[in-house]
Amino acid sequence: MSGPSAADGGRVTYWRVLFVVSATLLVLALLCFAFGQAPHAVLARAFAGTWGTPYGIGQVMFKATPLLFCGLAFHVAFRAGLFNIGAEGQLALASLAAAWVASKLPASVPAVVALPATLAVAMLVGGGYAAIAGVLRARFGVHEIIAGIMLNRSADVLLPWVLAAGLGADSMRSADIAQGARLPRLDFIPGLHGSAASLAFPLAVLCTFGLYLWLDRSRAGREMRWIGQGPDACLAQGVEVPRRRIEAMCLSGAVAALGVTGTVLGYKGYYELGLGSGAGFSGIAVAMLGRAHPVALVSAALLFGTLAQAGLAVNASVPKEAMAVLEALVILLVAGSAHGDRARRARPGRAKPPAPDAPAEPSLDAPAEGAPSPGSTA
Amino acid sequence: MDGLLLELVKVSRSFGATRALHELDLRLSPGRITAIVGENGAGKSTALRLCAGELAPDAGEVRVGGRALHPARPEEAIRRGVGLVHQHFMLVDGFTALENLVLGAEPMRGLRIDFAAARREACALAERTGLEVDFERRAGELTVGERQRLEILKVLYRRARAVLLDEPSAVLAPSEVGELYAALRRLADDGATVAVVTHRLDEVVRFCDEALVMRRGELAARTPLGAERPPELVAELTRAIMGREPPAPLGRPAAPDPGPEPVLELGGVELRDAAGRRLLDGISLALSAGEIVGVAGVDGNGQRELVRVCAGLERATAGTVRVGGRDPFAGVHPGPAAVRAARRAGLVVVHEDRQREELVLAASLGDNALLGDLGAGHDAERVARRLARFAVEPATPRLPAQALSGGNQQKLVLGRARDRQVRALVVSQPTRGVDVGTARRIQTALAEAAAAGAAVLCVSADLSELAALCHRIVVVRRGRIVCELPPDASEDAFGRAMLGVEAA
Repeated sequence: MSGPSAADGGRVTYWRVLFVVSATLLVLALLCFAFGQAPHAVLARAFAGTWGTPYGIGQVMFKATPLLFCGLAFHVAFRAGLFNIGAEGQLALASLAAAWVASKLPASVPAVVALPATLAVAMLVGGGYAAIAGVLRARFGVHEIIAGIMLNRSADVLLPWVLAAGLGADSMRSADIAQGARLPRLDFIPGLHGSAASLAFPLAVLCTFGLYLWLDRSRAGREMRWIGQGPDACLAQGVEVPRRRIEAMCLSGAVAALGVTGTVLGYKGYYELGLGSGAGFSGIAVAMLGRAHPVALVSAALLFGTLAQAGLAVNASVPKEAMAVLEALVILLVAGSAHGDRARRARPGRAKPPAPDAPAEPSLDAPAEGAPSPGSTA
Repeated sequence: MDGLLLELVKVSRSFGATRALHELDLRLSPGRITAIVGENGAGKSTALRLCAGELAPDAGEVRVGGRALHPARPEEAIRRGVGLVHQHFMLVDGFTALENLVLGAEPMRGLRIDFAAARREACALAERTGLEVDFERRAGELTVGERQRLEILKVLYRRARAVLLDEPSAVLAPSEVGELYAALRRLADDGATVAVVTHRLDEVVRFCDEALVMRRGELAARTPLGAERPPELVAELTRAIMGREPPAPLGRPAAPDPGPEPVLELGGVELRDAAGRRLLDGISLALSAGEIVGVAGVDGNGQRELVRVCAGLERATAGTVRVGGRDPFAGVHPGPAAVRAARRAGLVVVHEDRQREELVLAASLGDNALLGDLGAGHDAERVARRLARFAVEPATPRLPAQALSGGNQQKLVLGRARDRQVRALVVSQPTRGVDVGTARRIQTALAEAAAAGAAVLCVSADLSELAALCHRIVVVRRGRIVCELPPDASEDAFGRAMLGVEAA
């Protein structure tokens, strides 16, 4: 990752992570008291169920995989100044499509063909579904948040209908996928035996680093970033703003679709209704927490994965919803601290947009044309 | 009105790595109009904003009426009687002038706003100060001059005894400038403290009592302006501002022989907004190679739209733009494709709002130098050439564009524009908010472009700039060219044409 603004933004983010983690631990302690449990015992159990054992680590990676893909998806769109809230629907539709295609493949098809084909279908469906919001935004000015929410709802309705009417499934699940389309588990690592971790997690990490690099180096990636930072200047200088916006949205949807690797292809072996749901929204928080740097993004995904897995581990003594409370808390804290940054930056009367180190990201609540108009330069 | 003394005592303030003020001592006394002048980045606006509590000092003390301003917040400054009028108006367009006036300080009657009382007070205030505004009209419908008067009334309505104005005259016609200072004079005579940050030195010499010259965040000179105001004072102030000899006056290139065919030709260009109002109303203009034509007018009379049509960002609802006899926009949708079509035809445009329309402030200088040309190859050489063309400082490609002063940002913008193949150059407000030295450099660059055979159309609010640079000047009002004047026409003649006042 190059560029001074990115590096400095990263520093700020690590402090934010530290703050968020300590606040989260504090609230966890309070929750434990509320359920009549000793916090240290709950914490010990949570730790044992996550990072304390190889099995736990594997489970954290499994939980983190869709989160990382969806976080990465959100990040891609956000760099171009777009708020892809529709990852949820994109991932769900892509999962169903991938599972259906993979289940139709003959058992004899080797993995080198089956896997890429399945992934291609998933990315096409995810990207295509996102493209609807992208085109509406770029050509007709429909806000992508509104479109994204509507498309999520549409997917909610579409999925059971397609499963029941289209595929004739009698339960709310697809047929089993062909052996060739399955992603290898990380079973061969002795400690991880039994966990749901598959090659999907390393693949997600690889994608994260690759995509960050691409955003920084490629022509399309750089132009997307500029559009996110200054759409008016880009338009006036002849950068294809509408086209790049649509591309960014499609790419975002395609990346979200890759979340299918962790759930369908790496674990279940089929798609069932609700599989992987929630990742699209949690991915937004992951991206906001870790947008500055690929390492931060992976860490944020692991943090949320840890919380989810810890919830299962402590479920016997503290309901796992306690961890959902913590997750919500993290989202609030992240949003709050991001707002704090913006408020400081937007303090009235800054003579010059001063700091070369001010994080240069599109604002969360103004992903549209609302470019900040900095004060005069006297 | 009691006097309110504003003091900055050894005040320092930095923005990130940029030091805006360094141990500045400044006094703004009641009963007079104090001008604060200096180059871009000298810290003038920062000083004003510290006085108004919008910024807190890193070190030193801001004193209002002898007591430290604490906490350093705008609310506290307003409570203590300090009012700041921003360069960019902060009005709610959909509200009436009266609603804007009382916004945040509404006189209440029970749970309702007492508009009758507000109107009484507003009218009394307007009468006392001579700042006339139609209070019933929506702010969006007011003229620029009225909007500014409303901004001043807003701070007076909040009982300000010190009125600070940031670049108040930048958007006004000459006669409006006179009215503005007449009103400020009445305030000062009434005992108010009036301070004005401005780039226009002729105004300072004509209307102000004292000039504080700032250089690099420090006070460089304090020049009382007595009864005697020789014209040399402007040159003297310029020297103090720059800290060296002022640049030689600009030599206008000789008027070219009109060629057989104009290079840039606007034929009856009309632009309507969605509601059908004519923003441009039959603009016809022909520029020969080597000719510099100025466009004067009060801001908001179609200049911006004219430039956007030339750029290909708006499609003229009627009429054509021709470059070398051909319409570059034929069969192209307005937008990026049209922008590139114009550029291929040699029509290069520099927009007025350089921080929004020309630069991506958060992106690096290198990225900005390549904006719109990515993928054409030779990136490194292109960046180096464009930064070097007008000596952008610092010429560090990795630095974000927002770290540059306004003048250097403009040098980058022009370096990028001139590096493209230019047959016709349309520039808007090329030196707005740019310091004297850089402004001269930019004007010279425009003259050089013309000398090299380009047709140059220059939209500017600065009449002296147009007079020095252009071969002829057209005046626009309400989207129409109302007249064409020679560059040596009197300021008065321009003022009348701009405001639509019949010649006396």
